[in-house]
Amino acid sequence: MKYFVVVNGTEHEVDVTERLGELVVSIGDRPVEFAYQEVNRHGQVALTVGLRSYGISIEGANSRMAVTIAGQRYSVGIEDERERAAGLAARARGGGAGPVKSVMPGVVVDVLVAPGDVVEEGQPLLILEAMKMQNEIEAPSAGRVTDVHVAQGQAVGAGEKLVTLAAVTE
Amino acid sequence: MGARVMADKKGASSRPFARVLVANRGEIALRIGRTAREMGMEWVAVYSEPDRSALHTRFADVAYALGGRTPRESYLDVAKIVRAAKETGAEAIHPGYGFLAENANFARAVEEAGLVWIGPPPSAIVDMGDKITSRKLMAEAGVPIVPGLAEPLADAAAAKKAAEAVGYPIALKASAGGGGKGIRVVRDPADLEGAFRTASGEALAAFGDGRMYLERYLDQPRHVEVQVLFDAHGNGVHYGERECSIQRRHQKLVEECPSPVVDAKTRAAMGEAALKAARAVGYVGAGTVEFLWSKGEFFFLEMNTRLQVEHPITEMVTGRDLVREQIRVAAGEPLGYGQDAVVMNGHAIEVRINAEDPMNRFLPSTGVVQNLRMPGGPWVRLDSCLYNGLEVGLEYDPMLAKLIVWGSDRPQAIARMKRALQELNVGGVSTGAPAALRVLGEEAFVRGEYDTHFLESLDLTQDFLGMSDVAAIAAAIHRYKQSHRTALQPTAGRRDGWLERGRRSLTTFPLPQSSNDEGGANR
Repeated sequence: MKYFVVVNGTEHEVDVTERLGELVVSIGDRPVEFAYQEVNRHGQVALTVGLRSYGISIEGANSRMAVTIAGQRYSVGIEDERERAAGLAARARGGGAGPVKSVMPGVVVDVLVAPGDVVEEGQPLLILEAMKMQNEIEAPSAGRVTDVHVAQGQAVGAGEKLVTLAAVTE
Repeated sequence: MGARVMADKKGASSRPFARVLVANRGEIALRIGRTAREMGMEWVAVYSEPDRSALHTRFADVAYALGGRTPRESYLDVAKIVRAAKETGAEAIHPGYGFLAENANFARAVEEAGLVWIGPPPSAIVDMGDKITSRKLMAEAGVPIVPGLAEPLADAAAAKKAAEAVGYPIALKASAGGGGKGIRVVRDPADLEGAFRTASGEALAAFGDGRMYLERYLDQPRHVEVQVLFDAHGNGVHYGERECSIQRRHQKLVEECPSPVVDAKTRAAMGEAALKAARAVGYVGAGTVEFLWSKGEFFFLEMNTRLQVEHPITEMVTGRDLVREQIRVAAGEPLGYGQDAVVMNGHAIEVRINAEDPMNRFLPSTGVVQNLRMPGGPWVRLDSCLYNGLEVGLEYDPMLAKLIVWGSDRPQAIARMKRALQELNVGGVSTGAPAALRVLGEEAFVRGEYDTHFLESLDLTQDFLGMSDVAAIAAAIHRYKQSHRTALQPTAGRRDGWLERGRRSLTTFPLPQSSNDEGGANR
């Protein structure tokens, strides 16, 4: 099984196959000499690569994981070949404009734009308060505001749509 | 040395109170409770509904339910907490930091209820709590202050006018502020209006007071603070300084004691200024005088009239338990030693373990803590409220733990902190620990050359350990095993479960709960 693994923005191709009950792994085209032992069912793993020993913690499942090694937390996106193909197709359909989503749970303190407004990249769209800090949510790209999905005083969750932008045709 | 041992012995043998209530939660409640117990006292924890199974609730001798889900309904409710102390027979209340620690009304209510307030006199809290008043008082007492305007600004237009008089860059600050809330730095006059609006709004939301003032913003500033302690008989000492310049958005991440830029002569001068500042408001108890240090000069910033988050590094270097000292002087005991008895030995570093994502602008992170692995070994101290299963939400402060190390010198302390951070694992949420690890590895930090902008200048999205390939290998194998297990054999890989059953059948006494197998009991 081939996996496309994106670790903090860097992509690796890792191949995992089972031969006579043993896992065989290669990264890129390089075979990996390893031993992988689950310590418990909560994602604690004892991994050796060559002679190097790593006490690793893995959380999450399927396509999104977080892997912690020596205090460094790596955010990992992982796709198999089928998911890869589906993902590429979806990305080809999208592009540029779209919804601006909340990256954290919080409360909308102020909405600074209205539908129809044309905004520049980096322009504040609204102010979101989380953990008593006020954060300006900026436009990720230039565009026209087509929808404002939230109102002042509203609580929003992580990943919730805030504002939708459409590309400005020139 | 002789005097120091005597004083400590005396503290241990006389128990100032039979029972003390800790009006706080999280790691600081545990920290205070630990010293209370060491002094032979019982401690009372108070808890909100979400904190029913929190560590402080479980560690305490007596746990009192405040009820309520929000801080306002629980840890900020003065009447409820005073009632808790009365009903549980506590004689004194320690407020910790945050919540009601710097609330003069709470201090008064505690005293009016006939209880001992483990903190400074309410009048000192009031004087230092308002930054405009405190600046005025400090200027009169001869403590150096940052050039700026002491009066609150009427509106953004007034701020603009004032900023021109003081000179850019300027810092806009909330009169009632603290903890980095309601602070904005403005370098360009064009940004002033927007900054005033958001900062004032933030201050209004956080403190119920939107008044702002402004002062000159010093370049390459370092945040250096001095710990002081006064008894009720007019005796006071300082315990040297802490350097807290590693911060982002004015929230501290790494602190060290002593500061790499403060020599003995400057330490004595800053200590004297700090004592002078405290005396000017009739201070009693433990407090911290914050200074802005810029190119050899230092200026009074504010005084925190409570125990600081980062107090442990001072404890490690001076060998003094500050909570014990707070309790002793609150009970009316004399300090029992003078400035000469305060000796700084070695170097200590603290890293705050916050639920936040350093890869993504330190945005808050929420989740359920799992896969916890605690660091240990020589000269490592962990003040923590972490446990597997802890739900980290948004209702409370994101600080989960403080990792503290001591070394005989600064390089040893840095090396020790790096290895301790590598041992730590907090799963389920993201923490700022990797950012601290990154800071400790920076050459400029190792040389001691940094200021309060240092952390924000680092690109924390980089993979500085260079182990992303190892992470990729681990993730791919994990994914493969996971899909294999669920698809083919639901019980595959459960050899450990089989062993567990075997062991149980052969055992007639309870098996010790293994620390890395918390779910084992119900299999």
